[in-house]
Amino acid sequence: MTLSLNLTHLYPDNLNLYGDLGNVVTLKRRCEWLGIDCQLKALNLGDAATSGQTDIYFMGGGQDNDQLAVVDDFHQLKQVAIRDDTEAGTIFLGVCGGYQLMGKTFLMGDNQETKGLGIINVKTQAPSKEVKGRCIGNLVVELPSETHAEMQSIYEQPKEIPQTLVGFENHSGQTYLGQDVAPLANTHAGFGNNHEAEYEGARYKNVFGSYMHGSMLPKNPHFADYMIWLALTRKYKDPTIKLKALPDMEEIAAHQYIVQRYGKP
Amino acid sequence: MAISNLFKRILLVPILLSSRLLVLGLRVSKRGSGTALPGLIVSKYFPFAFEALVNQIPNIIVITGTNGKTTTQTILNSLLSQSSEVKLLRNSAGANLLQGILSELMRQSNDFGSLDFTHAVLEVEEATLPRIAKALKPKIIAVTNLYRDQLDAYGEIDITEAYIRDGIAQSPKAIVVLNGDDPRTSRLADGLGNQTHYVSLPPEYTDSLPYEGETRNTDEIADNILRSQNIRINDDLTTSFDIQGTVDNVDVQYHNAQISSPGFFHVYNALTAVTIGKLLKIDDQKLMQGLKAFEPAFGRGELLVKTEGQKSINYRLLLIKNPASFTLNLDLLRKIPRLRLILAINDNTADSKDVSWLWDSELELLNEANIDWIFCTGVRAKDMHLRLKYAFLDPAIPISTMESIQAAIDQSFDKADDGETICVMPTYTSMLEFRKRMGLMLN
Repeated sequence: MTLSLNLTHLYPDNLNLYGDLGNVVTLKRRCEWLGIDCQLKALNLGDAATSGQTDIYFMGGGQDNDQLAVVDDFHQLKQVAIRDDTEAGTIFLGVCGGYQLMGKTFLMGDNQETKGLGIINVKTQAPSKEVKGRCIGNLVVELPSETHAEMQSIYEQPKEIPQTLVGFENHSGQTYLGQDVAPLANTHAGFGNNHEAEYEGARYKNVFGSYMHGSMLPKNPHFADYMIWLALTRKYKDPTIKLKALPDMEEIAAHQYIVQRYGKP
Repeated sequence: MAISNLFKRILLVPILLSSRLLVLGLRVSKRGSGTALPGLIVSKYFPFAFEALVNQIPNIIVITGTNGKTTTQTILNSLLSQSSEVKLLRNSAGANLLQGILSELMRQSNDFGSLDFTHAVLEVEEATLPRIAKALKPKIIAVTNLYRDQLDAYGEIDITEAYIRDGIAQSPKAIVVLNGDDPRTSRLADGLGNQTHYVSLPPEYTDSLPYEGETRNTDEIADNILRSQNIRINDDLTTSFDIQGTVDNVDVQYHNAQISSPGFFHVYNALTAVTIGKLLKIDDQKLMQGLKAFEPAFGRGELLVKTEGQKSINYRLLLIKNPASFTLNLDLLRKIPRLRLILAINDNTADSKDVSWLWDSELELLNEANIDWIFCTGVRAKDMHLRLKYAFLDPAIPISTMESIQAAIDQSFDKADDGETICVMPTYTSMLEFRKRMGLMLN
C-alpha cells in the first residue's frame, strides 16, 4: 500500500515572504523520495477549511496588510476546522509571521498588538524600549534530548541526525510562551523567541512555531522527516511506521556549515 | 551668489583639502582605497557640503527602483555621451547612498569646490532618495520598478514604495519617468503635481514579470508614454525591439533598436533612458547611436574573456540580486543550446545575509534547460547546491560545489573547450570577487 499525505499551504498568495515556500517544496520532494504520495493543496482568502482533510498545515509570514486580511478571513472561514484538527493532533508548522499569527496576539508594523488566530497559547509583543532593533541573523538551536531521540527512532535503518536546527531569523516581535506550550529548542546562537529567553520556537501537541527562515526545512531534513512521520503515524494509527533513511549529503553539508560558522563550540 | 552660499563655498575648500589628505593617508598606509570614508565623515559633520556641491550641476537626473538602476544609468550615459555639449558626472554602481554620492562629488570637484559638469546621472538607493531629494533638486526622477528587494535590508516593499513617493513629493518640479506596467511603480506620482511619463512593454512580457498585484493596463495612457514592440532576443544574447509613442507630445518612432544586454527586462531600461534623452533634447540619431554603443555595466550581461596560451573561454556575467532578477535570468537560460553555468552565492550585506531568497527563485525553470554542467561557488555554495537538489527532476545533472571562486574559475576553464561561453550568475560581492580574480578591478 502506498502511503499518502495531504499537505495544505495556508494563504500562499498572501503569506509568501522570505523563502518560506522552500518548506513546502521540501516536504513535497522528500515525500516523493520516501515513496509517499503527497497531495498539495492551497487555501487562500475566501476558501473555507474542512476538518479532517489535512495531515500537515504550513503557514508562512507576509506583509502587514496581508497578515491583517488573513486574520479576518481565518476567523470567518477556517478557525473552527483548523482548531479542531490541531486539537486532535494534526501537524501544523508556522514560520515567523505565520508563527506569530497562530498565537493570541501578534504585532503589526507600527508595533500595534493585534488579535491572532488563537490556535496556540503564545503572545507576541513589541520589543521593550531598552532592546533596540530587530532580531536579525543566523540561528543555531539545540533540540531537547527526548525530541532528538524520538527523531532518531523514526527510520528503518539507523541514521545519524544532528541535534541542532539552523536558520535565519528576522523579526521585531517578541514572542512569549503561555501554559501548555513548550519551547521547540534552546538557542545556541541568535535570539529565538525574544531578546531575554534562551529558547526558540514553540510546540503544542503537533503544532510547531519557529522564527527560522533559510528556508527552515531544507537545511533541517531531520525535522522535515519528523513532521512527515508524525503525520503518517497519526493518519494510519500505526506508531510502528518507519521512514527510509535518505542519504541527505547536501542537506547536512549546508546544515553543518552554519553550525560550524555560527554555533557555540 | 547669495552670501550664505558664498560662505558655504569658501568653507568647502578646507573640507575638500582635508578629505583629500585623508584619502592619500589611507592609500599610503594601505588601510584601504578610502573611497567612501570622506563622504561618510563630511556628510556627518558638514551636512551643507552635499547641497553646495550638487547644486552647481544644472541637470540632475535620479534613477531609483529595485532592479535595473545601473543598467538604466549606463544606457543613459551612453545616450548623453553622444552629445558634445554634455559634461557628465555619474556615481559608480553600488555607491548609491548619500556618502557614496558625496564622495564622488568631492572627488570630481577642484580644490576650490567647483564642479564643471552640465549633467549628473545618479543612481540613488530607494531609502536614500527622501533623505537627499530636497538638497538634490532633481530635474528628472526615473523609477525602474519595485520588485521585492533584498529582504533583510528594509523588511517590506510597502516601505520602499513610501520612501520613493516621499522623495518625489519633495521634488515638485521634477519630471517623473515611471514603469507604466508595474502597479506599484506606475502609481508613484498619482495625486502629486509632477509631470509624468511612462514606459510599457506588451502584455505577453509583463505577465511573466514579478510585479506585485495586477499589471496595470496602460492602454488608457495616450500621451507621454513609450511602448516597445516586436522584442527579439538574438543568438548572441543581444536584444532587438521597436519603440513607439510620444514624449512631450512629440511622436517617437524607432525601428530595430538594439541593446547588447540579454533579456526583455532590459528593454524597460532602454525605454526609460530614451525617454530621459528625449526630455533632455538629445536628437534621435544620437539616441539610436547611443543605444548601439552601450556596453553592459559590470555584471549586467558583461562579457569577460580568460585566455591562456591558445585557449580562450568567455564568461558572461549576469548579476542576481533577488528572486525577481534570478528568476528572470533563469528564464533566459532555457534558450541557450548548451548551458554551462556557475552560480556564485555570497551572504554579505550587499548580497542579502539571509539566503532564503534562493528558495523564492524559480530554479525549477532549469528543468527545461539543456545543461552541460553546473558549478556552485561562493561562501553559500552549499545552500545553492541544496536548492538545485530540490529543484531538479533529474538527479543525474552534474553539479559540483567549491566555495573558492578562484577554484571555480580554474576548474571551469579546464573543463570548457576553446571559444565556449560559460554563464556566470553571481550575487553582488561574489561578482566583485569574480571580476577581481579575472584581473579586473571595479574602477
